[in-house]
Amino acid sequence: MKDSARLTRREFMVKSFTAISTVYIIPDLIPKAVASKPLDAEVSAKTEWAINVDVTKCVDGCTACVDACVDENGLYGFDRPETDSQWIRKLQIKDIRTEQVTTLPMMCQHCENPPCVDVCPTGASFRREDGIVMVNQHTCIGCRYCMMACPFKARSFVHENLTEQVTSSPRGKGCVESCNLCVNRIDHGSETTACEEACMKEGHNAITFGDLANPDSRVSLAIKTKPSRRLREDLKLKQRVTYSGF
Amino acid sequence: MPQLTKILAIAIMVFIPISSYSHDNEKHSLIGESKADKLDQCVEPTEVMQKKHFEFLYHQRDNTVEKGIRTKNHSLANCIDCHVSHDEKGEAIPVNAEGQFCQTCHVKTAVNIDCFTCHATVPRDSASKIKSTGYNKNIHIESAAHNLVKYYKENEYER
Ligand code: SF4
Ligand code: SF4
Ligand code: SF4
Repeated sequence: MKDSARLTRREFMVKSFTAISTVYIIPDLIPKAVASKPLDAEVSAKTEWAINVDVTKCVDGCTACVDACVDENGLYGFDRPETDSQWIRKLQIKDIRTEQVTTLPMMCQHCENPPCVDVCPTGASFRREDGIVMVNQHTCIGCRYCMMACPFKARSFVHENLTEQVTSSPRGKGCVESCNLCVNRIDHGSETTACEEACMKEGHNAITFGDLANPDSRVSLAIKTKPSRRLREDLKLKQRVTYSGF
Repeated sequence: MPQLTKILAIAIMVFIPISSYSHDNEKHSLIGESKADKLDQCVEPTEVMQKKHFEFLYHQRDNTVEKGIRTKNHSLANCIDCHVSHDEKGEAIPVNAEGQFCQTCHVKTAVNIDCFTCHATVPRDSASKIKSTGYNKNIHIESAAHNLVKYYKENEYER
């Protein structure tokens, strides 16, 4: 009884503060990523999570997004770069005609036609209604077909026993894993992924996350204001992660 | 006489498990103290939890992974939050350590727990986990990224 009274009071304070701040204090400078769903609701195709990366803003030598992903998901390694898990990595690409070098972050592209899902023998690799492609580690048997099928090398296999997992990101030996668009955060109402947040904090703003189905979301506006394209468009995978500026 | 033995045996069979595992203000682990020690009952009546906790977890895990349902009642993270014991220094002791809530019972019944090869055994949130009241959804966003995320510390056990 006492507990619930305390919760109600806190909720009341938080809500009134929110209401007041919405009107008076916090200016509306950046558009929202989305509307968040209640905890007990199922995800639906009405939300289409997506990321846009502006490679012209991505800074050579910066690894803020990679570090943030490691922190968020507890992806500590064993100092074995060949096999350590990596959900997002920095790539350097060079235009062979102009010799221009660009760097960009590369994570699971959250394909709408994901080959990793097509090949999975157990259905562990699956695409959630809202477009997040992820591995159900309860049913993954570690066959690694999906790693072979992914054209973007987005997935990693956990080779060793782990002990320091964070609560919000369970992971363990014998399963494949990859970027899940910070699914735990997002389901709990976060407006941003860890990598986007880190990129914003650095002041680079190269990564933009949001709901494509909502024309006023950050990512929709980003895509509207500049041309963007998918990597390897010839494969027709319809990735939800798009790149602008090259 | 044999009848008396039978009655005694039945009485022992019925009462011993109930009294030794009951929730009423009894300690749940041999070492340390947990929030659950102080509560009257778990998210369901004790007898139901004893028999069916795995079914609840099983159901919840599918709903969570596949459908994104994040209710707290039957979530493993919430179990650990409440059942984890703390030593004198206030450090959390892993729930699968010897003498702890999960482990004691599972050793006794010879059932291996598979959860903790992947799941955290103490409350170990990444800093950015979001308080789940949904109150941040109406906030208009300032350019500083820290306003996009509301940090929280989970103090209270949510029923
Ligand atoms: S990028 Fe790779 S892992 Fe991600 S959805 Fe596409 S095929 Fe699957
Ligand atoms: S490694 Fe796991 S997710 Fe990937 S194809 Fe095999 S069973 Fe499916
Ligand atoms: S969205 Fe989350 S999981 Fe995916 S790369 Fe960014 S930080 Fe990592």
